[in-house]
Amino acid sequence: MIFFVCFLKRNRHGGFWVIFFYCLISFLTDNIYRYLHQPVNRFYLYSGFTICEFLFISLFIYLSLKTKLLRIIILTGGLIFCPIAIINLLHGSDGSFFDSLSASSESILLIIYSIFFLYEQLTDQTVIYVYNQKRFWIVLAVLLYFASTLFLFIEAATLTKAEYNNYWPINNIFNILKNILFSIAFIMKKSDKAHQSLDTAYPDIQ
Amino acid sequence: MIILEVTSPGSSVSLVLFFGTIGMLALTIGLIVFIIFHQRKVIRYQLRLQRMEQDQQKLLLNASIRLQEEERQRIAADLHDDAGPLLATARLYLNENLVNLDKTTQLQSIYNAKQIIDDTIQLIRNISHSLMPPTLKNFGLESAVNDLFQKISGSGSMNASSRFHDYRERLQAENELIIFRVIQELVNNILKHSNASFIHLTQNTSGNKFFIRLHHDGRGITQNDFNKLNKSNVGLGLKNIQSRLKVLHGKIFFEKDMSQTYYKVTIELVKEEEDKLQEQE
Repeated sequence: MIFFVCFLKRNRHGGFWVIFFYCLISFLTDNIYRYLHQPVNRFYLYSGFTICEFLFISLFIYLSLKTKLLRIIILTGGLIFCPIAIINLLHGSDGSFFDSLSASSESILLIIYSIFFLYEQLTDQTVIYVYNQKRFWIVLAVLLYFASTLFLFIEAATLTKAEYNNYWPINNIFNILKNILFSIAFIMKKSDKAHQSLDTAYPDIQ
Repeated sequence: MIILEVTSPGSSVSLVLFFGTIGMLALTIGLIVFIIFHQRKVIRYQLRLQRMEQDQQKLLLNASIRLQEEERQRIAADLHDDAGPLLATARLYLNENLVNLDKTTQLQSIYNAKQIIDDTIQLIRNISHSLMPPTLKNFGLESAVNDLFQKISGSGSMNASSRFHDYRERLQAENELIIFRVIQELVNNILKHSNASFIHLTQNTSGNKFFIRLHHDGRGITQNDFNKLNKSNVGLGLKNIQSRLKVLHGKIFFEKDMSQTYYKVTIELVKEEEDKLQEQE
């Protein structure tokens, strides 16, 4: 968030504000979580955050995609996921403090969306340096985080308190990694090198 | 600590969690690495293609420059070898008029000079017609091709005929000239190299496509030969054909007839391209 504000000029366009708000909500959720002691409240907080997280990241990828079909798939995924997640939220916690179903389906959907983005970049003839794009680093962060925590989210419902405390650092580690990658994306200059002619873009490749 | 937990007996959840996470992480990293390397590979391939295309363009450009130079040399030779001596002779006759006071000799030399100037006019007209056939300009491609084929037939060396099936609307003048030059080049090649006894040209349209097909019974080339010659330094005329057709976004196909007796050359143009070019101008 600090980097976003510091390099506001570089991040003003291209839907990066979505990621900024996502970081803000993530930060607030983590801080509110410390003051909540009842598992029921924690469940609602996490479930609410999962929905917000899904909506923000989906919106970012939606804005980054050019292919109409992929955009429609993202919209459809959102329309299917949100009601299920909200019903799950209203249905209650069953004593658990983590909504495993919503979080794991969110992870799967966001991994698929990230692959959509990478596929589009791969097929886009105008993209020369995929890693010179700010969006790539954001999507990379999303992909790495959700791929690494997918199994943790799936298993979270069946974990005991001790196991949870034992494995939750996986989430924290990849959360830090995700934030580092977001920071890289926010710091990066808006590069024209990502879209340029082959001759000037790749003098080293012969 | 996590690894210790995983290796402890009876922790199936931990095992799934551990290997699942490691597997997903490996898959993700693999995917990213694949994308980056694949992109570099694609770029390398595209660069190679671009370079090949540039080389081809260079060859075509060289061919067209050489052809232009050859044409200039031919015109220069025609003017120097034919028109030059004729005019010099006419000058001599006129000079003689200045020194010779005899009326009859003067009249004779004026008549001779007039004859020579007439020949020179005819010669220059021929050069001019070879540069831009007046039939093409005034009556269109069909008449110009018929004219050309009649001349070939008239020489008695070969039977040449042409038939335009659907040419009610004339193409743009510049494009007609390009097509006529291509036909001329092809006919020249047939006359020079094929040893054919006949050439037959047909014109047709199908939808928005415009076709011209040449048949002959001599020795010809196939598409493979054409492609090879285009990439090599020989085959100046063929390169010239290709560079001319490139202007019209046209295609040319060299093939053998189904009966394996005749060679076919097909020129294919898209009429819409013609309209677009017209709009651009």
